[in-house]
Amino acid sequence: MSRRSWVRPLLAMGLVAVTAVVSACGTSGPGESNAGSLKIWALEDPVLNKIEQKSIDSFKASGGNASLETFGNDPYKQRLRVAMGSPQAPDLFFNWGGGNLKEYVDAGKVADLTSVLEENKAAKDAFIPSVLDGAKLDGKYYGVPMRGMQPVLLFFNKKVFKDAGVEPPTTWDQLLTLVDTFKAKNITPIALAGSQAWTELMWAEYVLDRFAGHEVFKNIRDNGPAGWKDPAVVQAMAKLKELIDRGGFGQSFASVAYDAGGASTLLAQDKAAMHLMGTWEYTNQLDQSPDFVKQGNLGWVAFPSIPGGKGDPSNLVGNVSNFYSATADSKSLDAAKKFVTTTLHEDSYVDALIEAGDVPPVVGAEEKLKKSPNPEYASFIYELVLDTKNFQLSWDQDLPADDATFMLTQLQEFFLGKVSPQQFVDAVAAR
Amino acid sequence: MSSQRPSAWYAVPAFGFFALFAALPMLLVIYLSFTAWDSLGTPQLNGGENWARLLDDAEARASVWRTLVLMVVSWLVQTPIALLIGVWAAGKQRSRAVLSSIFFLPLLLSTTAIALLWNALMEPNFGAFVGGPLFLGDPDIALYTVVLVISWQFIPFHTLLYQGAARAVPPSLYEAATIDGASRVGKFRHITLPQLRYTIVTSSVLMLVGSLTTFDTVLILTGGGPGTATRILPLHMYITGFKGFEMGYASAIAVVLVVLGTALSLAVMRWSGFRSMSSQQEGS
Amino acid sequence: MKSRPNWPAGLFALVWLAIVVGPLLYLVTVSLRSRAEYLGKSAWEIPDALTLDNYVTVLTGNFSQYLLNNVIVTVATVAIVVLVTVPAAYAVVRNTSPFLQRGFTLLLMGLAIPAQATIIPVYLMITRMRLYDTLTAVILPTAAFALPVAMLVLVNSLRDVPRELYEAQAIDGAGPLRVLVSLVLPLARPAIMTVVVYTALNAWNGFLFPLVLTQSESSRVLTLGLWDYQGQFGTNVPALLAAVTLSVLPIFAVYLIGRRFLLSGLTAGFGK
Repeated sequence: MSRRSWVRPLLAMGLVAVTAVVSACGTSGPGESNAGSLKIWALEDPVLNKIEQKSIDSFKASGGNASLETFGNDPYKQRLRVAMGSPQAPDLFFNWGGGNLKEYVDAGKVADLTSVLEENKAAKDAFIPSVLDGAKLDGKYYGVPMRGMQPVLLFFNKKVFKDAGVEPPTTWDQLLTLVDTFKAKNITPIALAGSQAWTELMWAEYVLDRFAGHEVFKNIRDNGPAGWKDPAVVQAMAKLKELIDRGGFGQSFASVAYDAGGASTLLAQDKAAMHLMGTWEYTNQLDQSPDFVKQGNLGWVAFPSIPGGKGDPSNLVGNVSNFYSATADSKSLDAAKKFVTTTLHEDSYVDALIEAGDVPPVVGAEEKLKKSPNPEYASFIYELVLDTKNFQLSWDQDLPADDATFMLTQLQEFFLGKVSPQQFVDAVAAR
Repeated sequence: MSSQRPSAWYAVPAFGFFALFAALPMLLVIYLSFTAWDSLGTPQLNGGENWARLLDDAEARASVWRTLVLMVVSWLVQTPIALLIGVWAAGKQRSRAVLSSIFFLPLLLSTTAIALLWNALMEPNFGAFVGGPLFLGDPDIALYTVVLVISWQFIPFHTLLYQGAARAVPPSLYEAATIDGASRVGKFRHITLPQLRYTIVTSSVLMLVGSLTTFDTVLILTGGGPGTATRILPLHMYITGFKGFEMGYASAIAVVLVVLGTALSLAVMRWSGFRSMSSQQEGS
Repeated sequence: MKSRPNWPAGLFALVWLAIVVGPLLYLVTVSLRSRAEYLGKSAWEIPDALTLDNYVTVLTGNFSQYLLNNVIVTVATVAIVVLVTVPAAYAVVRNTSPFLQRGFTLLLMGLAIPAQATIIPVYLMITRMRLYDTLTAVILPTAAFALPVAMLVLVNSLRDVPRELYEAQAIDGAGPLRVLVSLVLPLARPAIMTVVVYTALNAWNGFLFPLVLTQSESSRVLTLGLWDYQGQFGTNVPALLAAVTLSVLPIFAVYLIGRRFLLSGLTAGFGK
């Protein structure tokens, strides 16, 4: 092997490497933003990001300056945490409100928006009060709603119900009866994507709420894990266990994933009768199993009531909305305040959300919702939220990340029957 | 003459690079294990709090146990199969050459690809074993399913090691044994196995350390579930650190991982009288 | 050496063949089915029709971006590793200074460090260096953790070079740089190939570093992209498996062309 034939490839390789490193550095995303221009972070969403970008464009047109960066779900939470502790923090950041926001508020990272909302009455009054409260902590507002409302609903397969000659449940006892009905027909009564614990969490949230009222969890959130020891929690979990043991979720739920579409497909393929899920299930089904939705076989109802339970049957759980919050030490705080009080309740923004199938958290949207691509569905959600006595944010968003992670693990063990209601309570209360 | 030799500077980029991105993190992880850091702000020293908590953490103990089970079972499954196939594939017959080139195919798939493939295969409602056992959904089976997938992925690699080593056994040994009338099994026991001793050690170290640090496979296959049935130590660290944001505590778990890994490598080598891997190696 | 056929071993090999080929067959056949067929029919039934639609779906998505990122990460990692280890190995072999020898021993201890255990500090360092979510963030630690094996392979190969060759060069008045280029590089060629293949495979298949150190689509590598498809495609498992199949093709091509190099790279440092 001659010398030259070796040197050249090596040199070439070195050159490629240097180019690669340099170009990799170059594409590392936007650099520091100038003072006065807003850096806005939001969760990745192919449809909604476009709308958010539009609102930024119109903000720019009226003299402001802003740019949007978006991230996927898990990385978003991770990256936000890192950024909030560094000079790279965004000026406005997307969040879920509640306890998830509270961590940042407690660390002194979030600007209080109360006074600016009081000054801009038009902005404040445009939003549904119970939704605006989703980012209210200790009597102060720390965020302004910016996406649609996403309560959790009980979806069902109309065809399967019709074939069995039954109606969707309005009470817990009907639900239990339905479990037996569908089991006898060899249909999984309730699809559950149990490999992802947050799908199981929805059941725990609703059962506790209907059985004992929403104050029980509020107490846990505000006063710490000892609140789990409320006897109502064990009793509610025992009710849920009854449903699990009865075969309500079938046998194979533990390895079904929501992200991989397992549970939704079971429902669409007539293999399962019901599915408790956030409102995004509709869009998801439309995307994955369009025929199922178009033939009108996808039905939805509010979560059944529990007879004798203390919780109001109108109570909802889920994602109240998403919020923009401003960072306390942002150089562009004034611009940030201006952005959240001017763009988010504007007609063009609200209309665009509706067009995208979202149900915006603003008052008086009844007429507008008729223009939604799925008017019946959108209006149903809107009415539910307007009528609700309490809209509880998903527990895993409402608790600090470490407690939430631990609780989700315990909950999975509970659904597998490895942990009894009492053991579940003991474990999460001991955190 | 010494001026003709390369100066030590030739090695500085390599050493420096390693020091910065591998050795320094090693030291940092020990430091971090004595801090509280929620990845908001900066790490704060909190004494031995993480370590006290670790001693008390039933979930951590359980994950160490699962890790050990995973290591031992996957060693027990992989070694005999890889050894037998490796020796068989070392034969010169054409059919063996063709078959062994097929045996190596799983080597071409990344761990991610393999985990996704098996995940699809074992999907309970639409996969290849509908109505069969719940490979990934049954807490009593899931860990063994992970062993199965790991074995499928890595047996070819160890087969390759054994094949190379078996080919290096001097044929004269076998010829002498044949003249002595040794049976096939006898030759395997008295010639092949002793001759492959070093390879068995190398392969075992790689298997044990490999399964100690298994991560991608489990994350993709089960995410540690169902429940915590497959939450092995590296996954427990990842979930604690990057889901619960308890980075300090996760660092303590990471230190345990390092200690286990180093102890394991040392133990296997000491026990087998196998001192230096480098003296054995030859650019194959 | 003629021997009678070994029937039990042959049978065992055939069983193993089925275990190896079964899942691979499933991979390819399902990737050629339509989603409806996948959902409606058992995996063991013969499909009515095969389709390449799934491959179209994958290729019209972000696959090429992920692939490009993977290529960049792999090439850069390999280049860094080769550029720093070849001179270093040469120095370790030809320079007896205790600093070097001790450094080499320390480096070899790195063989026992599991990369997983350092992920938190690496994450801390990368975010502090403001490299989070760049390909550079993936390249640097990936290369660092490939160094011990690369050094081991190179040093062992250079130690086999007869001393006389170095001395002959020295008598000709060649400085160390010329010796490196005209003697070390050609002689270490097989070892360098092994290092290249080993490092490239590691970088190509890397998962944990990209998982923790990057997040956006523009810096996503293929392994993470595949994982992401699982969420994106939902129960479109045929499309997911088409993506998996596509991800295997580059390595498969290498296997067909240079099987020997690939296999030696795989067992780098552990052969024999």
